[in-house]
Amino acid sequence: MSRPYQICTKTVMDTTDTEIVFDQNGISNHYHEFMRLAPMNLYQGKSTDLKLEQLIEQIKKAGKNSEYDCICGVSGGVDSSYVAYLSKNLGLRVLTVHLDNGWNSELAVKNIENIVKKLQFDYQTWVIEWKEFRDLQLSFLKASVANAEIPTDHAFLAAIYRLCAKYNIKYILSGSNFATEAILPKSWGYNAKDITHLKAIHDRFGKVPFKTYPLLGFNREFYYTYVKGIKMARLLNYVPYVKADAMKVIEDKLGWVYYGGKHYESIFTRFFQSCILPSKFNIDKRKAHLSTLICSNQTTREQAIEELKKETYPADKIQEDKEYVIKKLDITELEFDTIMKAPVRSYKDYPNDEKKLKFIYSVYNKIKGQ
Amino acid sequence: MSITRVIPVLLLKNTGLVKTTQFKEPKYVGDPLNAVKIFNDKEVDELIFLDISATPENKKPPLEFLKQIAEECFMPLSYGGGIKTVEEIKDILKVGIEKVCLNTIAVENPDLVKKATDRYGSSTICVAIDVKKNFFGKYEIYIHGGKKNTKLDPVKFAMEMDKAGAGELLVNSIDRDGMMQGYDNDLLKKITSQVSMPVIACGGAGTLNHFGDAIKQGGASAVAAGSMFVFHGKHRAVLISYPSQEELQEAFGN
Amino acid sequence: MIAIIDYGLGNLGSIKNMLRKIGINAEITRDINTIKSATKLILPGVGSFDNGMQNLTDLGLIETLNQKVQIDKVPMLGICLGMQLMTKSSEEGKLPGLGWVDAETLKFKFETGEKKLPVPNMGWEYVKAEKESPLLKDLPAEPRYYFVHSYFVKANNPSDTLLTTKYSHDFVSGFEKENIIGVQFHPEKSHKYGMKMLKNFIENY
Repeated sequence: MSRPYQICTKTVMDTTDTEIVFDQNGISNHYHEFMRLAPMNLYQGKSTDLKLEQLIEQIKKAGKNSEYDCICGVSGGVDSSYVAYLSKNLGLRVLTVHLDNGWNSELAVKNIENIVKKLQFDYQTWVIEWKEFRDLQLSFLKASVANAEIPTDHAFLAAIYRLCAKYNIKYILSGSNFATEAILPKSWGYNAKDITHLKAIHDRFGKVPFKTYPLLGFNREFYYTYVKGIKMARLLNYVPYVKADAMKVIEDKLGWVYYGGKHYESIFTRFFQSCILPSKFNIDKRKAHLSTLICSNQTTREQAIEELKKETYPADKIQEDKEYVIKKLDITELEFDTIMKAPVRSYKDYPNDEKKLKFIYSVYNKIKGQ
Repeated sequence: MSITRVIPVLLLKNTGLVKTTQFKEPKYVGDPLNAVKIFNDKEVDELIFLDISATPENKKPPLEFLKQIAEECFMPLSYGGGIKTVEEIKDILKVGIEKVCLNTIAVENPDLVKKATDRYGSSTICVAIDVKKNFFGKYEIYIHGGKKNTKLDPVKFAMEMDKAGAGELLVNSIDRDGMMQGYDNDLLKKITSQVSMPVIACGGAGTLNHFGDAIKQGGASAVAAGSMFVFHGKHRAVLISYPSQEELQEAFGN
Repeated sequence: MIAIIDYGLGNLGSIKNMLRKIGINAEITRDINTIKSATKLILPGVGSFDNGMQNLTDLGLIETLNQKVQIDKVPMLGICLGMQLMTKSSEEGKLPGLGWVDAETLKFKFETGEKKLPVPNMGWEYVKAEKESPLLKDLPAEPRYYFVHSYFVKANNPSDTLLTTKYSHDFVSGFEKENIIGVQFHPEKSHKYGMKMLKNFIENY
């Protein structure tokens, strides 16, 4: 069932995305999809400025009777740090929130400290009990699925909705953006919101019952979105978001420090993306990120290809991370090797609500008139 | 010129990091291994780990865990919690911990302190006392995680420990623990004026000024803090921080 | 091969750990043959002088160490008690030291006029370079190290003094005589300052 290797002639997405489709010019579906959606999601000039103004007005109006206008998740990474910076300039009263899953690097923590102190925002942390999180994370590693970040992503969403409800906040400022993240193949990861999938993997491979780990079932999400009226605002889609420029701004204004790679502020994510994904799953997530940057004119295909020739992260540092990860997960090297050698599985191999969720979301969107 | 030591104190409860307020209501703070790694990367002067569930639950020192922690530290580490025997001290020092903190046992068996300092050197032995003011304003030492009142006078006891050769004394104010309103400098001064060993102030730090006060008014040689390095803001949210060298130099007037 | 001498005293694991962090695999050993084949030696130590000298004697290591250090001129780094053992004698004990460096080990006792400070000296102090050395190459600015000691070294030959530190009065915190280096502080507990110094010891000697 293996296809011959092929790479997109416009981006650097290739057949490591097992579901990639090429047209007769060798251009991938990712490129076409980006171009199709760009007018609605990328900054278009004055018309977007107006949309932003209206959004900010809405946010301020919705927050009138609360202590905060909106909530902003911060990880110490570029996107969320830049969102925090923008929100201050836009005069929003922000509650910053961090999900602590026990994997923060010192740089991440320092970046967060600088954000909250320099922007003078109130701050909340949601700390997950390490014993529970470790068990869930190990379950996903044993499940051999490509998206081992589901435990973190799911908890983050669940936590942020809960905090919105607690402080009566109606808007979540999200760092996710079209300009640098639009392209992400489905075959490389699955929806973190699918609680059936999460619970199934936990039931099969986990041992520690959920006590403090925040769960976000579809019913709960419905409650938050439709009853409480909590909305997601992707601020970075309303401004000309050029990553290199954004990094310079936050370095300058917030003393932000770079940690070597996208999402590398988390030690686990860094190790997972620089070592486990490429070695076990043959997935190099940089391809998705760089392809998006090519489409949004922040880099060229030639530069991207050069970038991909470089190692994901220095080999000695990967080794250091590996030793730390093994120690922290409290497994032996043999157990780690077993995980690495286990055959790759798809999320489809485990119970999931993909079809059901697809249907439900399409109904939601129809009702919302999108 | 001596650089004043600024020491984060981390409390352990059943392998999780916690933070208390007046020795009560432990709040979960996170995974100790990652916290240690972050503090190490911040190049803190020293780190103290106190297992607050050890004596009340009669637990032995977790040697494997301590070894893992020690591997992440390129600065001195102290550990305290339920230590009872000289053998246990030997085992702890062997896994890479520089100093042990003796709390309950120093009161119940002061001879152990002398034995340990003779055998391993005074620099490896820190005596930690938890002190509370009674209704009449008199200071008294508590043991067993702050639960048992020994009625002992901390100044007299400190002098005894000084004589026994303890390398340093950690003075922890139960009343001020987690309150971030400043150290009990009166208590500190009473003790530091009577002993020659270095005294570490603990319990109550909230600002850099408090550090300076503990040295200038309390006569302490070093300052320790928990909440200040682990919480941020009015919501007391977990965020590990540590002042820069410049900030510390200013605080101590170096 | 770098050998860390195990004579029963000192935080050997920490030194090995820090060396590992900078990419060097050192061996902790008390085996004479292993020590004989080492290209560099580290003599750690925390404890009392006589204890240290007695242990070295009981383990039969002194002859080999003398050969390696004084005849073969293998680079040798003494840390804390290790440094003090290299001197001729110590006020802490009765036994003679290794005598590799013309120096004595004295107790901190502050005379009149000197500020009386707590003993042991336990904490971070700055060091001042008294001469140039490959050991000090590219150290981070204002190097500070972790000290924990009640006794200090006095060098009789000023040209041997590499570093001084002030603890009420100045004292020798590091000496260097040909292949023999001694530091009073603990580089393995001194973050990036210690890491750089150990790296220099491994790479520049």
